[in-house]
Amino acid sequence: MRGGPNGSPGRRKNLAGSALRVRGLTKRYGSLTAVDGLDLDIAPSAIFGLLGPNGAGKTTTLEMVEGLRRPDAGAIVYGDVDLVRRPEVARHRFGIQLQSSSFFPLLTVEETIRLFADLYPRSLPVLDLIDRFGLGDKRAARVQGLSGGQRQRLAVATALVHDPEVVFLDEPTAGLDPQARRNLWDLVSAFRREGRTVILTTHYMDEAEYLCDTVAVLDHGRVLDVGSPQDLIRRHLPGAVIELAPDVALPDGLPLPGLNRIDRSGERIALETGSLEETLVGLVTWARDAGQHLTGLATRGATLEDVFLKLTGRSLRD
Amino acid sequence: MRAVLTLTRALIRTTVRNRQGFFWTLFFPIVIMLVFGLIGNGGGLQVNLAVAGPAGGTAAQVAAAFTAIPIFKVTRMDRAAALQAVRAGREDALLVVPAGPAPLAMHLYYNDANYIAAQEAVAAVQASVSALDLRLSGRPPSLTIAASPVSHSVQATLLDFLVPGIVALMIMQNALFSVGAGLTRWKEQGILRRFLATPLQPVQFLGAVVLNNLIISLATLAIVIWMAVDVLHARVVVPAGPLLAIAVLGIAVFLAIAFMIAGLSHSQEATIPIINFVTFPMMFLCGIFFPVTTLPAALARIVGFLPLTYLANAVRGLMSGQAAGFTPAITGDIIGLLAWLVVCGAIGARTWRWE
Repeated sequence: MRGGPNGSPGRRKNLAGSALRVRGLTKRYGSLTAVDGLDLDIAPSAIFGLLGPNGAGKTTTLEMVEGLRRPDAGAIVYGDVDLVRRPEVARHRFGIQLQSSSFFPLLTVEETIRLFADLYPRSLPVLDLIDRFGLGDKRAARVQGLSGGQRQRLAVATALVHDPEVVFLDEPTAGLDPQARRNLWDLVSAFRREGRTVILTTHYMDEAEYLCDTVAVLDHGRVLDVGSPQDLIRRHLPGAVIELAPDVALPDGLPLPGLNRIDRSGERIALETGSLEETLVGLVTWARDAGQHLTGLATRGATLEDVFLKLTGRSLRD
Repeated sequence: MRAVLTLTRALIRTTVRNRQGFFWTLFFPIVIMLVFGLIGNGGGLQVNLAVAGPAGGTAAQVAAAFTAIPIFKVTRMDRAAALQAVRAGREDALLVVPAGPAPLAMHLYYNDANYIAAQEAVAAVQASVSALDLRLSGRPPSLTIAASPVSHSVQATLLDFLVPGIVALMIMQNALFSVGAGLTRWKEQGILRRFLATPLQPVQFLGAVVLNNLIISLATLAIVIWMAVDVLHARVVVPAGPLLAIAVLGIAVFLAIAFMIAGLSHSQEATIPIINFVTFPMMFLCGIFFPVTTLPAALARIVGFLPLTYLANAVRGLMSGQAAGFTPAITGDIIGLLAWLVVCGAIGARTWRWE
């Protein structure tokens, strides 16, 4: 059927534990450059997060690495396999949950997973998968009657059905309630323990901080920075953040000791400071003298969300 | 091949489980046949016939003779009132019997607003007149013999004419509504994209879609033809081999049209109206419910080139049993269908996008 004696994707050399290297990846749509010379190094058996505002090029990047879209330029190498030349290797070894993927609504959960299992030369036991993803009592239920969380678990189950080395999850918890999100986090964490590489995109910073070993912040089709969530926070926002309600009439050029930057792009005014105590004293003094109230005053350490705002100038959900 | 068969099985499951779709695929044609089958079944047929003519002339004799035939409800009227009644639809037809000796040139007026009813009335009167002619000329009456072919020939023209048309119509509707609409829906919902992320090749997906439609279409055709022949006793012949060949060709043509429409339209909202726009006129013009020859000559010429006309003509040619196998007329229809297949297949191949 498919593949030849040399390099048949079915009879596979074990590439598990291989790194994914992306160099100079580029995709243009007319005059728009969606992905602009992107470089990524994705370590094996770890969870890698792609973060970026809408239109940053996350999904296009994923789809090129998955072999669904041909890049205009650049290299994608998995182990020693050139995936640009041989995208069928990606289709055999990678498991993919697409952002907008759906399934035949009139098939049952079990029929859907079996259908995908039968498309591969070998697969994991279907009933085990159904149990593992908490779909046991929905086994004979039609897809059209599933809840959002059950649907997402089904989508991830079909991505895992052929025992892939790399799993791609494009916004796996979008639109789920907090409990369903937690549930999926546990399942995704288990992939890493099994030695799989996970590459995911997300809109939720807590999700990235909780799950990802490494995150890359993207905007305009380029990588702005890469590192572990803690590294990124230390590198970009070593101090703390003072938050105020948005109606406090804080002048832009106010000379407060220790203040690095005032960010007004979020829901609240955020003052990034290298010295929390000095800035706070200055702020309180200014308020007393100017007759202002510091409504909603709060302080906290920086989060990945602050780093994201600083790097892209935009909030994640814009 | 295993992947294609697996996917085909899944598609057949979703097709059969889609109750609404399956209603149109299978029960709608059966209902149409039942309705027309009952109309044609003797008891249902009744012709309201007005008879006009000078008092004391042959008109009274003719009226009496028609009254003796059960399917006619005869009323004596004067000519002007009767014409009014036919125009208003209270009478199906008016038979004007002139005064004077034989041969009588009788005139039949009928309302053509309801074509099928008019055809029934005209056919029934014509058949009866030839029988009555014998009796009025003084020879031994043969009314009983003549009356049975009257009701029989009417029944034959209705259901027997309809069954091949239904077969052609089912092929068109099934291909366009399930595949044409299905492809855009699957594309829009991201179902296609998900399959492209597996080792399944696009051509394998296409193969499964075609196989599914072929199996569902042929199975429903078999059920409907069985109903027509064994339950409703339609007088059609079923030459299995040639009929299967024409059906498969017809399915191929309308699948090509389905791919073309799915390729040209960009959303499901656009696809359904396009399919309706294509199927609706063909359903009524292409000789499904009444012959193309009844259309105005100019329109009939154009309709003669439509794919459903070719398919209906070929199926009817085979099922009417007038000739065994492919007559020159059927060969002409096959050439017409092949032309549509090539043109629409080429356009479909150019316009169809997996993304």
